Amino acid sequence: MCGIIGAVGRGVETLDVLVHGLSKLEYRGYDSAGVALADESVDICKKAGEIDELRGALEGRSIDGSVGIGHTRWSTHGPPTDENAHPHQDCSGDVAVVHNGIIENYQELRDELAAAGHTFRSDTDTEVVPHLVEDALRGGADPEAAVRSAVGRLEGSYAVAVVIAGVDRIFAARNDSPLVLGIDDDAYYLASDVPAFRDHTDRVVYLDDGEFTVLGPDGWRVTTLAGEPVEKTVDTVDWDPEETGKSGYDHYMLKEIHEQPRSLRQSLSERVDELGGSVDIGELADLNPRGVQFVAAGTSYHAALYGAELFRQAGIPAQAFRSSEFATSPPPIGDALVIGVTQSGETADTLSALREAQRRGARTLGVTNVVGSTVARESDHVFYIRAGPEIGVAATKTFASQLASLNLLALGMTSTDGTREIISSLRDLPGQVQEVLDGSAAREVADTYAASDAYFFIGRGLNYPVALEGALKMKEITYKHAEGFAAGGLKHGPLALVTDQTPVFAVVTGDDELAQKTIGNVKEVEARDAPVIAVTDGKSDVERYADHVLRIPEAHPRTAAVLANVQLQLVSYHTASILGRSIDKPRNLAKSVTVE
Amino acid sequence: MVDTAVVLAAGEGTRLRPLTRNRPKPMLPAANRPILEHVLDALVDAGAEDLVVVVGYKHDRVQNHFGPTYRDVPITYVRQNKQLGTGHALLQAREHVEGSMLVVNGDCLIDSTLVEDVCRAFDRGDGEPTLAVLEGPDARQYGAVTLRDGLVQELIEKPRTDEYRLINAGIYAFDDDIFGAIDDTPREAGELALTTTLSRELDDGRVRGVETDGLWVDASYPWDLLVVAAEILDYGLADEPERDDRVWVDETAIVHDDATLQPPVVIGPDCEIGPSAVVGPHSALGRNVTVGANATVANSVLDVDARVGAGSTLLDTVTGQHVRLGPNSVVSGGPADVRVGNEIFEDEDLGAVIADRVRADGNVGFAPGSLVGPNAHLDTGVTVDGQVREGTEVRR
Repeated sequence: MCGIIGAVGRGVETLDVLVHGLSKLEYRGYDSAGVALADESVDICKKAGEIDELRGALEGRSIDGSVGIGHTRWSTHGPPTDENAHPHQDCSGDVAVVHNGIIENYQELRDELAAAGHTFRSDTDTEVVPHLVEDALRGGADPEAAVRSAVGRLEGSYAVAVVIAGVDRIFAARNDSPLVLGIDDDAYYLASDVPAFRDHTDRVVYLDDGEFTVLGPDGWRVTTLAGEPVEKTVDTVDWDPEETGKSGYDHYMLKEIHEQPRSLRQSLSERVDELGGSVDIGELADLNPRGVQFVAAGTSYHAALYGAELFRQAGIPAQAFRSSEFATSPPPIGDALVIGVTQSGETADTLSALREAQRRGARTLGVTNVVGSTVARESDHVFYIRAGPEIGVAATKTFASQLASLNLLALGMTSTDGTREIISSLRDLPGQVQEVLDGSAAREVADTYAASDAYFFIGRGLNYPVALEGALKMKEITYKHAEGFAAGGLKHGPLALVTDQTPVFAVVTGDDELAQKTIGNVKEVEARDAPVIAVTDGKSDVERYADHVLRIPEAHPRTAAVLANVQLQLVSYHTASILGRSIDKPRNLAKSVTVE
Repeated sequence: MVDTAVVLAAGEGTRLRPLTRNRPKPMLPAANRPILEHVLDALVDAGAEDLVVVVGYKHDRVQNHFGPTYRDVPITYVRQNKQLGTGHALLQAREHVEGSMLVVNGDCLIDSTLVEDVCRAFDRGDGEPTLAVLEGPDARQYGAVTLRDGLVQELIEKPRTDEYRLINAGIYAFDDDIFGAIDDTPREAGELALTTTLSRELDDGRVRGVETDGLWVDASYPWDLLVVAAEILDYGLADEPERDDRVWVDETAIVHDDATLQPPVVIGPDCEIGPSAVVGPHSALGRNVTVGANATVANSVLDVDARVGAGSTLLDTVTGQHVRLGPNSVVSGGPADVRVGNEIFEDEDLGAVIADRVRADGNVGFAPGSLVGPNAHLDTGVTVDGQVREGTEVRR
């Protein structure tokens, strides 16, 4: 999991363009960063730590060149050190390479190259690439042919970019890791993701697996790895690069929590007709699935659990699987529609699961936030959640938009009882999220319990995924132990963990049988002296058993889950803030996990 | 050329209560967009390349709405944690301004003419403070100005007499030495007003005033939002596509074929208007507003997410956000005497002001001039008259 960037045609600004691009890619990894600039020689500067460390290192050095590549790293092979930071070089120092992905046959290649006399300076899989290029150059190949032959030796996932001394071009290739080109009038870019160069151009070309590209001062071209020309279309991205600024907030996470009313409006706009009692999901309405299997990871998996329940409520058998499990131990799929939920559209585990499903003949649907992402291109169908760019590593607004989008899909693909009432509640949702944001007591709750040993979250039905997500958010950004449980599962073991130092967040909405049963569980933990924080709409009497209440407006059970989640997002945020954590960039985590 | 604009948007605007319960006055609707959006439009149209917005009261609402840019112009937000006057607000922006700047109030509707006039006058001068001066509005409500040869002679806050013809429009151009001048101004009752600083410079003949005549509408009281909306519609300042003559409807809105839109009227994004409903004239619907079948809405401003039940009638009505009115709700319209605290305003054209998240179950009547506080719940069949406090549950 890493981010790469490259630029040609920017002359003396090249270094600034690269470093700026890396700062926009920091969400993909941030334990080390580096750049390489090529003219007659290749200059490299790289540093363990965040991009500010690299900036500091660059201050003391003059490094120039009109063609450059850069990299921000999230370690998979070897610890985050200066040596393991990219770019990596060959023995001569004339070739520099950045790479995102995992080279599965690197050990074999490394042994072969070491035996041929190449010296390795890092523990990374990537370093085999510059040495392979060096070998081919020594064998008399021209630069482009040398890179092609090196890439041809690689097995695994990669987006690689290469510069060579004395060559005013960048060579790059992709297989299973994202790579997109940015096209301007007299400058060309490549990157793992659009924000890296969105400040310079809005014209992009998405590379597909097995494609190879050459960017030079005179233009760009894409071919297969073997050299066959490929016709590519130039897309225009419509979102505003400045949406990636913090707009006055201390953290992206808080900004994104507060953006939820707006992002939900975008998710729903032109897709619901309350007076007509219908939703518009385009051709997806004709899929008529007889069964649904969701595959997803992390927060998206919690959205998938919620989505599966919606389909079950409409009488369609539906299950949610963790994509890593599905990919390696797939269940019988039968004629189920397989829906992959992934914010980035690049989650490697989810892509593998969908590919496995396709291999078995299943129809696939990708639910994602990123237009042109791999899941959007590889799946048979795609549905965009339209939440806008999310930078904070902890997913917030995209979870809300995933839940809203899954409602649209379930309503559009099934005949669900009470459709009009659900549409009405969806249209009320943005305003109700704003109501939660305007009056949340989450800060007080965080103040009270920030020193606790652990946090537990319980819920039933649609509130079960909310409990899991509440715990995941708490873990991710506070580094505290947190677990979510189906409320009924508590007494089958986890209750042993409950003490007066372990606050329990109980998500209780409505006053039906589920709510009453959860209240029974609340009484169980209360009897063990655990502080109870009820997240409730006030319809039931759960407040009688609670030490604190996080109030949400009265709402349909489907949207109440979204509202309850907003309260839990805020509790996690404020707790992490009190604890002084690195909220937007929690340790060991990256925004989208593009390695398995 | 002045290209940095500082927008003062930190104050609540207490006279606009109860509509300011959850947001500051600049975010109240001028027709169907926040007042501040029109202010930023005026600045961007006049060529501002850098916006510094001073936020304070309920600042999240400003930051969320605009995000990091407006019409591709970057916005820097600075916080005024205590609202200690306009001079104090401007001081908060000090670090983000170099050289000359425009300063405008974020809570008063303006167009670009005023801004351009101030810029031109400032550019002709030698860096003296320059302010826009208007003829028309009742000077007793605002700050009165007297001018001689383009220089401001007097600045009088809310004069008691009606002998003044000109007012200070609250649009200024300054050099960055204004910050030092504010520093040197003694606080009055703990506050630093920009006009106090300027008054100190009048004797030196240093403050220029430029008479201008663009659009300028200030809402002092909640019902003034009806006047603001009417001005905007009459001026044709709506953003949405014009479907028929002075009927502006966003592409994402759903209007039933049997509904009638009477000009001038503007319908925001994601709105739904049911069969046989009649909306307009002089009405503005914010985003995601629902008007049920057979409902009538005239001379009204319905803010974001409002729901008007089937068969309801709303005349001369201002709603806050996410107001939900059940079927057959009736606001029969002004004129009325409106009581705010101990003050009584006579003969105002006001049906009702219904603040954020009020819920009326159905068959609810509103006597002319009613003010209903946020989150009030009105049970089926009640009639409200006068003021209903925040969060009140009204039963029959």
